[in-house]
Amino acid sequence: MTFGDILRTAWSNLTRRKVRTSLTSLGVTVGIFTIVVMLSLGVGVQRVIQQQFDAIGLENVVVQPRDAERNPYTRYVRPEREVVISPAKIAEWQQMDDIVSVTPIVDVNESISKRLVLPGDAAATIAVGVDPGIGINNPFETPPTALAGVLRPTKDGEIVISQRALRRLGLTAEVNNLIGQKVQLVMETPRGESQSFDYTLVGVSSVDNNLVALTPNDSIALKAWWFNEPDLLDKEGYDYALIRAKDLNVARQLTTQLRAERFRVQSVETVLELASKIFLVINIMLGSVGGLALFVATIGIMNTMIMAIYERTREIGTLKAIGASRGNIRTLFMTEAGLIGLFGGIVGLLGGWGVGRILNRVALAYLEREEVPIRGDFFYIPPWLIGLAIGFGLVVGIVAGLYPAARAARLDPIKALRHE
Amino acid sequence: MGQSTSLIRTTKLQRTYQMGKNTVQALAGVDLEIERGTFVALVGPSGSGKSTLLNVIGGLDRPSSGEVWVSDLELGQAPDKKLVSFRRDRVGFIFQSFNLLPTNQAWENVALPLMLAGRSRSERRKRAENLLEQVGLGDRADHRPAELSGGQQQRVAIARALANDPVLILADEPTGNLDSRTGRDVLLLLQRLVREQNVTLLMVTHDMNAASYADRIVHMRDGKIEQIETIERTAEAVA
Ligand SMILES: Nc1ncnc2c1ncn2[C@@H]1O[C@H](COP(=O)(O)OP(=O)(O)OP(=O)(O)O)[C@@H](O)[C@H]1O
Ligand SMILES: [Mg+2]
Repeated sequence: MTFGDILRTAWSNLTRRKVRTSLTSLGVTVGIFTIVVMLSLGVGVQRVIQQQFDAIGLENVVVQPRDAERNPYTRYVRPEREVVISPAKIAEWQQMDDIVSVTPIVDVNESISKRLVLPGDAAATIAVGVDPGIGINNPFETPPTALAGVLRPTKDGEIVISQRALRRLGLTAEVNNLIGQKVQLVMETPRGESQSFDYTLVGVSSVDNNLVALTPNDSIALKAWWFNEPDLLDKEGYDYALIRAKDLNVARQLTTQLRAERFRVQSVETVLELASKIFLVINIMLGSVGGLALFVATIGIMNTMIMAIYERTREIGTLKAIGASRGNIRTLFMTEAGLIGLFGGIVGLLGGWGVGRILNRVALAYLEREEVPIRGDFFYIPPWLIGLAIGFGLVVGIVAGLYPAARAARLDPIKALRHE
Repeated sequence: MGQSTSLIRTTKLQRTYQMGKNTVQALAGVDLEIERGTFVALVGPSGSGKSTLLNVIGGLDRPSSGEVWVSDLELGQAPDKKLVSFRRDRVGFIFQSFNLLPTNQAWENVALPLMLAGRSRSERRKRAENLLEQVGLGDRADHRPAELSGGQQQRVAIARALANDPVLILADEPTGNLDSRTGRDVLLLLQRLVREQNVTLLMVTHDMNAASYADRIVHMRDGKIEQIETIERTAEAVA
């Protein structure tokens, strides 16, 4: 018997009991559908997250100084720093090969009171904070744009204010006229001392917060005055440095090196590795649900095949009498079982794909309504999942067919021919 | 053994069945020789071992002792694989209840042995149509068994038995499910095939009228051959 003959024969046997064949393969469909939906969700979400991380840039390394051990008697004193991100360090890093950029960042504590003062005719005052400008976009927020001028100050003495600050100053209408204007930040200590710092307004950012952006040096100057520590930069250095490496490998090497130098280093990659571990566990768990369904489907196919063999005992006897070998009979029934599994798998795959597409639309509509700037397919079927679904269906069918087919092959032709 | 003209030769053939403590002797020492190109009828009361003998000669069953030769193959000792290819390539079976595959068209049923032998579909179709023509069903090639009368179904089964160009056709009560008129047509067809194609036909029946179409009648009783009669055919009986 050629492969084509076996397929054709199996097919005509299956189509003679269409309802039973369909119902039996429905079991496989449910199992494969579950697996496809679950795995495509796992893969899709992981991909979306990966894309968000890619947008952030995995080659970014955030370095922080390390605080020295705290002395319990100096609880109220700011901790000493064990390693410092000094301007010299920044320069050193900038000199390294394969480094794209190094940005020092200063965190001007929220609790340091600052007021933004607009002098002149439109005089107004509001309380503001200083944006540390970590430089990594939060993937769950729309990245800010410059409504006027630039997004970040490039020279000392420049300031960028936020849209909200502008609104609260009552100046929304005249955004463009404001660029180049003089503004002041006024600081006041609890003791009542105050100091004002002059800046030139160079931009308005679209962010909806109360922060203003300064250069690191200007931020340091604010802190130095507040803590009454003129050489703050030399003593404590910057609060962060954002190092942009050429690629992921460089970032990885850099991370190890900086950790060896006792800096605290966060790289997004670490987070991603953790995330993918979690997703692996979730995928396995969800996949097991489908696996259970497939186990039930296997029993269903077995049952159907045993029934079919019982009904067709005389046929099997006839085939054997006219020269079918055990192998022919076994192959024939294995093929029938395999086809049931295969159809179940294909239908389950198509179903899972269709449902995934619908849910993608729903999710997209939801995200758009909630203004979350994440796009992408949460249900994603990679090529390997197509292969897995169809292959699994086929394997389930073949495995289910093993025992019934062996039974059919073993039938004694004389008894089989006498069977009613 | 191969030098004589006999196609089938059994010696001291026994087939016993163990039923609990009882031993049933279905064949109790059968010595039989059948020549090539003869139409042999096997008759006898129910339970006399006719079907058992047929099955052993057809390689479906194995003797408990004794030998059964078909041409140059001793079936009792032949390995399973040999028996399968023997059935597939050299024997044709005809059953009382036709045993056609219901999903297959007439021609596909006829071509089944050729399919098992791995012949191409176009070759099968050609040969099957040819055979259906011979049994007078040239216009029914694409019908399914359910669309055919009993006599027509049995003729399809006869065509199937001829498909592999067998040396031996074994028929177990081929007219048992047919009315006498249709039965007569089938018997005449079988008779004609033996004559024209020089094939050997062994037919089990318990109908003496059916047996009278044969060249020789083997009478069995209690697993033994009781008597063999040779029919002297006159010219008018052939017509
Ligand atoms: N599988 C079996 N197990 C036990 N005994 C069997 C088996 N097959 C046949 N026999 C016995 O062997 C004997 C011969 O049976 P067989 O079928 O050859 O008879 P037969 O001549 O064909 O009868 P009938 O004309 O009724 O078909 C019977 O007594 C039967 O009961
Ligand atoms: Mg019988």
